[in-house]
Amino acid sequence: MDRQQEFVLRTVEERDIRFIRLWFTDVLGMLKSVAVAPAELEQAFSEGIGFDGSAIEGLTRVYEADMIAKPDPSTFQILPWRGERHGTARMFCDLLTPDGQPSLADSRYVLKRALDRASDRGFTFYTHPEVEFYLFDAPADPSRPLVPVDQGGYFDHVPRGTAHDFRRAAITMLESMGISVEFSHHEAGPGQNEIDLRYADALTTADNIMTFRTVVKEVALEQGVFASFMPKPLADQPGSGMHTHLSLFEGDRNAFHEAGAPLELSKVARSFIAGLLTHAAEITAVTNQFVNSYKRLWGGAEAPSFICWGHNNRSALVRVPMYKPGKGNSSRVEYRAVDSATNPYLSFAVLLAAGLKGIEEGYELPEGADDDVWELTDAERKALGIEPLPTSLETAIEVMQRSELVAETLGEHVFDYFLRNKRQEWSEYRAQVTPYELQRFLPLI
Amino acid sequence: MSTSTGRGSSLATRLTRVGVADVPRAERLLADAALTAVDPDVVDHVVGDLADVGDPDAALLAIAKVAGAVRRDPTLSALLHDVLADDGHARRRLLAVTGASVAIGNTLAAHPGTLRVVADGTPGTGVPAADVRAELLRAVDADPDADVPVAGLAGVPGVDAMRRAYRTRLLRIAATDLTCGDPLSRLPGVGAALADLAAAALEASLALARADLDDHGRGVRLAVIGMGKAGGRELNYVSDVDVIYVAEPVDGTPEDAAMVTGARLAAGLARACSAPAGEPALWPVDAALRPEGKDGPLVRTLASHRAYYERWAKTWEFQALLKARPLAGDPELGRAYVATVNPLVWSAVQRENFVEDSQAMRRRVEAHVPRAEADRQLKLGVGGLRDVEFTVQLLQLVHGRADETIRSPSTLTALAALAAGGYVGREHAAQLAVCYRWMRMMEHRIQLHRLQRTHLVPTSDADLRRLARTMGLRVEGPEGLLERWRTTRRDVRRLHEELFYRPLLPATARLSTAEASLAPEAARARLAAIGYRDPAGAVRHIAALADGVSRRAAIQRQLLPVMLGWFADGADPDGGLLAFRRLSDQLGTTHWYLKLLRDSGTAAQRLAQVLSTSRYAADALRRSPESVRWLDDDAELAPRSAERLEAEADAVLRRAAEPVPAVTALRALRRRELARTAVADVLGVTTGVRASQSLTVTADAVLAGTLRVAESDARTAAGLDASPTRLLVVAMGRLGGREMAYSSDADVLFVHDPVPGADGKVAQDFAVAVATRVRQLLGSVGPEPTLSVDADLRPEGRNGPLARSFDAHVEYYQRWSSPWESQALLRARPVAGDHELGERFVALIDPLRYPAGGLDAATEREIRRIKARVEAERLPRGVDPSRHLKLGRGGISDVEWTAQLLQLQHAHAVPGLRTTSTLDALDAARDAGLLEEADTAVLREAWLLASRVRDANVLWTGRAEGAHADVLPHDRTALAGVARVLGHPSGSGAMLEETYLRSARRARVVVERVFYG
Repeated sequence: MDRQQEFVLRTVEERDIRFIRLWFTDVLGMLKSVAVAPAELEQAFSEGIGFDGSAIEGLTRVYEADMIAKPDPSTFQILPWRGERHGTARMFCDLLTPDGQPSLADSRYVLKRALDRASDRGFTFYTHPEVEFYLFDAPADPSRPLVPVDQGGYFDHVPRGTAHDFRRAAITMLESMGISVEFSHHEAGPGQNEIDLRYADALTTADNIMTFRTVVKEVALEQGVFASFMPKPLADQPGSGMHTHLSLFEGDRNAFHEAGAPLELSKVARSFIAGLLTHAAEITAVTNQFVNSYKRLWGGAEAPSFICWGHNNRSALVRVPMYKPGKGNSSRVEYRAVDSATNPYLSFAVLLAAGLKGIEEGYELPEGADDDVWELTDAERKALGIEPLPTSLETAIEVMQRSELVAETLGEHVFDYFLRNKRQEWSEYRAQVTPYELQRFLPLI
Repeated sequence: MSTSTGRGSSLATRLTRVGVADVPRAERLLADAALTAVDPDVVDHVVGDLADVGDPDAALLAIAKVAGAVRRDPTLSALLHDVLADDGHARRRLLAVTGASVAIGNTLAAHPGTLRVVADGTPGTGVPAADVRAELLRAVDADPDADVPVAGLAGVPGVDAMRRAYRTRLLRIAATDLTCGDPLSRLPGVGAALADLAAAALEASLALARADLDDHGRGVRLAVIGMGKAGGRELNYVSDVDVIYVAEPVDGTPEDAAMVTGARLAAGLARACSAPAGEPALWPVDAALRPEGKDGPLVRTLASHRAYYERWAKTWEFQALLKARPLAGDPELGRAYVATVNPLVWSAVQRENFVEDSQAMRRRVEAHVPRAEADRQLKLGVGGLRDVEFTVQLLQLVHGRADETIRSPSTLTALAALAAGGYVGREHAAQLAVCYRWMRMMEHRIQLHRLQRTHLVPTSDADLRRLARTMGLRVEGPEGLLERWRTTRRDVRRLHEELFYRPLLPATARLSTAEASLAPEAARARLAAIGYRDPAGAVRHIAALADGVSRRAAIQRQLLPVMLGWFADGADPDGGLLAFRRLSDQLGTTHWYLKLLRDSGTAAQRLAQVLSTSRYAADALRRSPESVRWLDDDAELAPRSAERLEAEADAVLRRAAEPVPAVTALRALRRRELARTAVADVLGVTTGVRASQSLTVTADAVLAGTLRVAESDARTAAGLDASPTRLLVVAMGRLGGREMAYSSDADVLFVHDPVPGADGKVAQDFAVAVATRVRQLLGSVGPEPTLSVDADLRPEGRNGPLARSFDAHVEYYQRWSSPWESQALLRARPVAGDHELGERFVALIDPLRYPAGGLDAATEREIRRIKARVEAERLPRGVDPSRHLKLGRGGISDVEWTAQLLQLQHAHAVPGLRTTSTLDALDAARDAGLLEEADTAVLREAWLLASRVRDANVLWTGRAEGAHADVLPHDRTALAGVARVLGHPSGSGAMLEETYLRSARRARVVVERVFYG
């Protein structure tokens, strides 16, 4: 029993915690939870908690149902929305096979493995996500039109707005769980909000995103509204992305920064960006994993549909933010395709792998795009060598299944499962007859 | 010219006799004006004693230089004279140190004052550490009695003063070391004195570092913990000094500020020891063993150390911590640190993965010696110094949990304690201690020469000669030195086995009372620590094998200690030991079995490897006991040629009168060849395609022999003198392709051709009777392994007659043949029976399987469609398609269909494609430009890997039957075992899984493109 574990046990007793939720993430990025009583906690630390993984997306094969969730005591947190008395706490878990090996199906392990590879080359990977989401009047019934909680726009201050109170409550709760928030504001769409998490190492950030989604949903529930991370809930409004700032550190030094270089970008950074661009199409099925994701990617309004990079170009896939003099350690690049519904563990893993590939192979960075690429004609884009991202989940799957990079990063098991699951999703989606079709064709034909 | 010895002979002769290499120069040096000015009788004083020094030339040069240096200093000149004229020890000391170390000679010349150290005979070893500490602290003008000593000197003058004091004392230690009568027994004292000196240097350096800070770093308590040899108090003359820093704020100082100061002190300390200054640097201070290694903060608080070790530390870190000992700085904090880590060290053996980690550490100890250095490394490699240290530390970790008496950080003390506690044999422990001391002494002597940090034995003759002379091997010379070193390394390796495994033998099996026998609890702990999953069972097997007074038991007692280690290296140590016990019960009484294992260099090790890796091969060895002999001889493990097997089968048939015994003998022959192949496969001697060919050749010979028996049997049954028809067996499938696996059936067609004038019906009945008999003889249950003969690929499949005449085949193929039959015929190869009929049959089927003009579009489409259907239907329910080796995505069948489609399309034009072998077909397709180079490589690799995993499944589980052989195991243990069979190191299960899935996925991509188009 180590001190962290003792601390958890003591806290559970002192704070009269009645349940401890053990959290882990399935392959699609859905949070799963097993609750244990305090009495079981000691055993959970020493041996883990066995559960039947076969029922959970992508975790195991049917015949290998036994899985072990082993809580990581350093992630212990009391859940603030469960009240002060008789509280509930949570810990993230690592998933193990019965013989104690890391499960190859554990998203968290996929990311850990990718981070290990980076650290073999002396790099630590930091991420900083800007998570967008919508607030609707509750209950949100899929069969009726969604009603956003307000009609505000970008950075609008809505007086006595639900969204404002909401953000304040959510941020207070996040901070009380040790998750620092950088920034929050009203986004462009009605009822749309953005909250930026402070940058941290990628594993912590991914854990934080999982917590963040839960907190936002809980706060919404308390305030009688409904929060959604769906990439494109409203056809005529902007979708919810998760622009993610990426940086690599070598020890204490930002490896992306080189004083005096163009845009202060080091060779490492340039190759990293080139890696992101070269492999952007392959990783799109991971960063944008649902049929709905492509409605955001191709819905205009600054969505990054084309593979190019630019300096402060708000239409580019990869944006290099304005450099602030004297802040060498804040050098970073922003990848703008990821949406709020992604599995952050897998997304960060493939983004890192793509960038590292660029560094290893010494990819050359193409010219940056200065124009709004949406304004260009197809022929112009062709002339400039700017390719589109996949236009649908189907094409994204097709590109991904040929990708050695993604297979190696996810591991064969997750790769195979993910593709199967996504093919299934596509074929179910394709079978739908949508209201759009009925409206358009029923009267006509 | 005088030939007598002694003073009467000429100077040149005397110089030669004492070992001077460059006599004219030595004569010049002895006549040197400065030297003779100091001591006119220098020749008489010095030459005789040169016989005892390492390098007489260097010694002479050094004293001449010193004489030059003291010329203007009457006091020192007088001192040098006294030393040279001294009849006692002073002269011997001077010559010994200058003859062993060029570096010390230079120090003496540069600082002739140090001559005083040589002149006074105070020993350099056995000095209380506190005295040494005080000496060095005073050198930097610090108060040894202060709680926190701060140097009065600062900057470079302080550093130089400390280094001079260090070197002076080093000289004293070297002088004692080089002139003592028995340097081997003095060695621990020398190591301890060097460690105390290093600790004193660290203390003085810390005092210097404090002096550099404005407030002398009052806000922080800093302790320097020694690790490695410094911690073990067994230091070399020159090596990195491994340390860990622990710091605590003094009350009232914030922790952050204290840590910053602590880090500055640590950095300052390291600079004082190793940064350039006026005097040469001492040695690097290496803090890389600290938590998180080079990435971690240089200093941490005690609590931070504890938190790290409790949560993150790896097994090797605990092994390193075993040596932790406070060296300098705050003594109370140092003791607190050791008290904190100690419980963790001594419970490390209970950590998960302790066994795997320690095996991996052992591999690291043995490997990673650069090739160029392999013959010169004293420290690394098998039988090196690190090997001894590792053995002792592992034993300490295993048994130190329960026994505090064996926890010493010093290698030699710990070894003696292990012997005293009965954990290792006293005699063996003493021998290992001698080996260790001897190699350490050699290391010391090598380092002394230039005071250089090196663990390489020199290569030049002059260096080796000096080394031999300083090692007391003047007579034996360089050759004798190297020979002794080689012997020592071998002894270390042998003693490792003896120390580690022999005490596992029961007390009743002891050869003498000097041997240890572990108490049951300790024996189980040791077995568990090296990977036995059922230590209690292992203890029983060991007792059963080694107990008793018989000669067998006596030999087993010699063998077992090593074999126990080898089993532990395998995937299944318990299974290996059990199989060994069974085999020994069965063969123990034979005159050759134990003798072979005892005397052969390789047989015992290979036996252990086979038994602990493969249940199939273990079983095969037990059933073909003579096969144990092959382990000694690669020629015996090589596959038998077809000719040799045919000749043997022929001889069997000539001897046997009755059909059943005859075929039983053939089946026994196959059993023996399966054993040969399996054993060679596990040992990595015959793997993959060669193993398949070996299995094929055996099946061929057995089929041919059985056909003869069945034919003669059928004649007798029908009362015929001659056969009414000529018979032919055509191999199909993997047998046809010479790609047999351990689990393969023999796929065949039976063809016959009535002799002229024979009745068609009689001939047909006869042929069917023979075919039936062949299947029965090879398939019936009996003592020897069956070979299932499968004729389902015949025309009309199971609905057709078992045998068909040639004419009926002609007719059938003209009228009915379907694409899948043409495809199956690609693998057809006459294997037994009438040769001429075989040729005609091949001529008959060639146009079908190599159709002129290739395939028409409709047939091509049909083949693709059949394949797609097969994929959907034949895969067993519940099996993950990506894991089925044969029918899964990118599996064997995917690759074979692709090759076969290319054959059907192009074999008419490309002769190379007319082959029954999958790999040959792929290569031919590549050579003809029909398949991309890269695609060919992907398909080959996938096919080979799937085939090998299939074989490894059988070898690991010991079961050739059943669906399991065709599936990549899910079970982690099985996966790890299969990986071991394939020759991967332990813990490669997940890697194998990933490798297979990747290889199959890539193959599938190629198949979809090339086959489905």
